[in-house]
Amino acid sequence: MKLTCIIVEDIQIAADFLRKFCEKSDLVEVKGHFLNVEEALEYLDKERVDLLFLDVEMPGANGFDLLDRLTYSPMIILTTSKTEYAFNAFQYHVDDYLKKPFTYKRFQEAIQKLQQKAAAAQTPATPATAIPAQNADTDFLFIKAEDKLIKLKKDDILFLESMRDYVKFVTPVKNYITYSTLKNMEEKLIGPNFLKVHRSYIVNINKIDDIRGNTIYLLGNQIPIGKGHKEDVAARLNIL
Amino acid sequence: MQNIRTGFVFDESLNSSFLAELFEGDTIYAETVFEDFLRDLPVYWERVEAAYSSKNLPVLGTTVHTCKTLFGYVGFTDLQELCQQFENKCSVNSVEELRLEYILLIQRKEKAQHIIEKEYDRLRLFNEMKD
Repeated sequence: MKLTCIIVEDIQIAADFLRKFCEKSDLVEVKGHFLNVEEALEYLDKERVDLLFLDVEMPGANGFDLLDRLTYSPMIILTTSKTEYAFNAFQYHVDDYLKKPFTYKRFQEAIQKLQQKAAAAQTPATPATAIPAQNADTDFLFIKAEDKLIKLKKDDILFLESMRDYVKFVTPVKNYITYSTLKNMEEKLIGPNFLKVHRSYIVNINKIDDIRGNTIYLLGNQIPIGKGHKEDVAARLNIL
Repeated sequence: MQNIRTGFVFDESLNSSFLAELFEGDTIYAETVFEDFLRDLPVYWERVEAAYSSKNLPVLGTTVHTCKTLFGYVGFTDLQELCQQFENKCSVNSVEELRLEYILLIQRKEKAQHIIEKEYDRLRLFNEMKD
């Protein structure tokens, strides 16, 4: 399976290398190269891609600003010449981290890992997709956790948090971690009461206590609202 | 050190084992990258000089960061380290405190640019002879 991607990179030599590696691999199709975050966001507002090669330090907004404003969750490979961003990268659940300049071998390793992930996400019977009756109309769902299928009432769920290849379901009494992606949950399981408010969070809007600034408070938990999700949140919550 | 796969020998001041891995014997592409480096470095360096003159340390750090990345693609891994140290100091030191290190950075950059100019010419000749 060929992944579609864009390159967000202000250094032409670095972008050219990436493009060359993508072509050589024949595993990644480059849909565009953008020199800054604003141009990339303009494209991403109209088109969807599987993967972003994202530089961190660019003129104007940086790579993490772009992640804050993304309204969907493509796979992300950060490309930077600084290792100091590793912690941020972990927090943003990026899929890989390539330190520039990197070799074709290192590039290939990263792409193969992502291809496996993409293939796993497409497999119809991943553990978390559970039983066929599970859809947006039911008021429950089954998730595989703790070596069993656990029935969760949707109304008991406070929010879902992405943890790279896993999703954490947070309820008032217990948290459950299951092997899946937030994208999978968003598409297959979540009903009208759930809203994606951040790249890494889906919340149960019935459980929201209040919203202060860009933070949602629900039962002692604080959930950030991503810049790219502000409008959706305002519209869905009837914020006047 | 000799690049065994192509027979092209990079200047000893460059990290030739890394370049061999980066270009995988593709001396034509190496020529392109060295040419691009010589095209782009003066543009970025002008920004470094402007930032230093205007004492704009955040921009100075960012532009040196960009140059650092460029140096990496032509095998100046030691110069990358020097740029990294300078970049780090931009967030804690004043322009006056950075003066001597800035002069050292200019000297190293001039030397590096000169070496790459020569390496580019050599690569071009090498590739022409291959044809």
